[in-house]
Amino acid sequence: MIEVEHLGKSFRARVGRRAAQVRALDDVSFVAQDGRITALLGPNGAGKTTTLRILATLMLPDQGRARVGGIDVVADPRAVRAQLGVLSDARGLYVRLTARENIAYHAQLRGVPAADIDARLAPLAELLDMPDLLDRRSDGFSTGEKMKVALARALIHDPSHLILDEPTNGLDVMSTRALRRLLLHLRDRGKCIVFSTHIMQEVEQLCDEIVVVAHGRSVAHGDAASLRAAAGVATLEDAFVRLAHLQEAA
Amino acid sequence: MNAVLVVFLKELRDAARDRRTWMIVIISSMIAGPAVLLVLSNFIAGVQERAAKKEIVMAGTQNAPTLVNFLQRAGATVIEAPHDYESQLRTGMLGNSVVIPPTDFEAKLARGETVEVDFLYDDSHDKAQPVVRASLRMVNAFNRELGAQRLLARGVSPQLLAAIAVEEKNLASSGSRGAQLLFIIPWVTLLVSVAGAISVAIDVTAGERERGSLEPLLMNPVDMSAVVLGKWGVVGAFSALVVLLTLTGFIGAMQFVRDETLSAVMQFGAREVGLFVAMLLPFCLLVAAVNMLAATWGRSFKEAQTYVSYFTMLVNLAPLVPLFLTNRDAAWQLFVPSLGQLMVLMRALRGEAVGAFDVFMPGAICLALAALCLVLQGRLLRREEIVFSRA
Repeated sequence: MIEVEHLGKSFRARVGRRAAQVRALDDVSFVAQDGRITALLGPNGAGKTTTLRILATLMLPDQGRARVGGIDVVADPRAVRAQLGVLSDARGLYVRLTARENIAYHAQLRGVPAADIDARLAPLAELLDMPDLLDRRSDGFSTGEKMKVALARALIHDPSHLILDEPTNGLDVMSTRALRRLLLHLRDRGKCIVFSTHIMQEVEQLCDEIVVVAHGRSVAHGDAASLRAAAGVATLEDAFVRLAHLQEAA
Repeated sequence: MNAVLVVFLKELRDAARDRRTWMIVIISSMIAGPAVLLVLSNFIAGVQERAAKKEIVMAGTQNAPTLVNFLQRAGATVIEAPHDYESQLRTGMLGNSVVIPPTDFEAKLARGETVEVDFLYDDSHDKAQPVVRASLRMVNAFNRELGAQRLLARGVSPQLLAAIAVEEKNLASSGSRGAQLLFIIPWVTLLVSVAGAISVAIDVTAGERERGSLEPLLMNPVDMSAVVLGKWGVVGAFSALVVLLTLTGFIGAMQFVRDETLSAVMQFGAREVGLFVAMLLPFCLLVAAVNMLAATWGRSFKEAQTYVSYFTMLVNLAPLVPLFLTNRDAAWQLFVPSLGQLMVLMRALRGEAVGAFDVFMPGAICLALAALCLVLQGRLLRREEIVFSRA
């Protein structure tokens, strides 16, 4: 389970010549249950990536708290990282290493015994439809191929919690379907999955729970039907626009 | 497996597959070492040869047959100067002096008058200096001989003119003149240690971030120190590899040169090679740590290259420092990385004593500074604006 309470985060940024504080997160709260897929739905710049980076212990929040599997991200970041699999915004690979070597590196860093790595990788590669990629050097991989390797890398230690930042960005239909298949498979095995997106279709097809984020605040949550009902509109897109807009007007 | 070892092995494999790494390894070690040694031995041999040749260049040999005759008797070869001797002297093409007797040389000589003879040279060319001195000495010998004859003709002993007899004994063999250039050898090894570290250091830091693989790496449940140490080990290993190959290149080239002049100038046996290794390995580790720190601060590969080049420049300039010192072996240099290495290794090459402290102190300072750089780098990598972007 991932619990987020009133997260806030500011950055220093340059506005003209002066340094200024930019409020990236104001007040984000949600709970993502095990065995469910939770989406952070929001426009660009809403604070989705920042929220996920705090959960991944790469950033410290200014206020509020977050727990992954009951462990506070600030108090024990290493223990949090140990039970997380993250597909971040940056999904760079080592281009001179093969896909298998890329994945094995992270597996070893996570303490997966060397003898087990191939055995763990085989079913993952099957699910992601990438067995023929494994022994190619990752130089020149397409966006979809890179995503598959990065995802396999994030899952090789069989984490109980999975965080994905806009996983379908730049993916074609086939890759998106492979990803969707994998996420549903993982959910059915009881994993807690949180991903960020701004694509409505994805959310409707995949998610059990939706958290709408706008201007650094979580403004609504529920499943697609309850969000539509709350906004009093027919489609999720309309609901989203209305909910995000209400926040803006407030 | 230990996380430091995992990072080390991965970075080792990654760097070993990078063509840029090997280009630098090959260029700096295989080529730099032998090339430097060949040029050096050529230079020293050239200086000796010319000083031994006793050549005198004269503009207008026909004007001073008496002088020419004297010089030839003294065993010198007199050559007529090329018509553009002035510019040749300036460019160093003519590595000697030019003696210019006036057209009325013989007439004035016969009348017993003082003849003004021009002696042209350019002392900005180091190579020419011993040769020029030899030429001047021979022309002066003519002066003394003729003067002595004139005094004798008047019944005066030439000894009266010689209140003291100055006998020149130049302690510098033509060998030790070449020794002024010996600094090139330790200097080249310092340079290659930097060259060997640069591309790997940038690749494992700024490169890691530019590729977008830093963020995923830091999400693993390992200590930052393991990541930094593993990377440092690989950068240091490549730096040391290039240094060792360069030294091997020196040793190999020494076999081919087989030049007595060079072996007279420098000691380069097992003791010296051992000292080079002992002095340079800690330096390689420092170079690796400094380069990594600079490259971590750099936002991109390019920016990292800029920061790293500042450091390279400092090492490049190191041999200039002793030029401004009254005591070239001033002990404080031991405490300054690269100056200490240069000084101690020069002493080793000159065959002078090198104490345990001379090896220990520069090494200890290198390792201490390296540790500081690694701590700072670990701190940098914990900063959000370094891991993500620095706006």
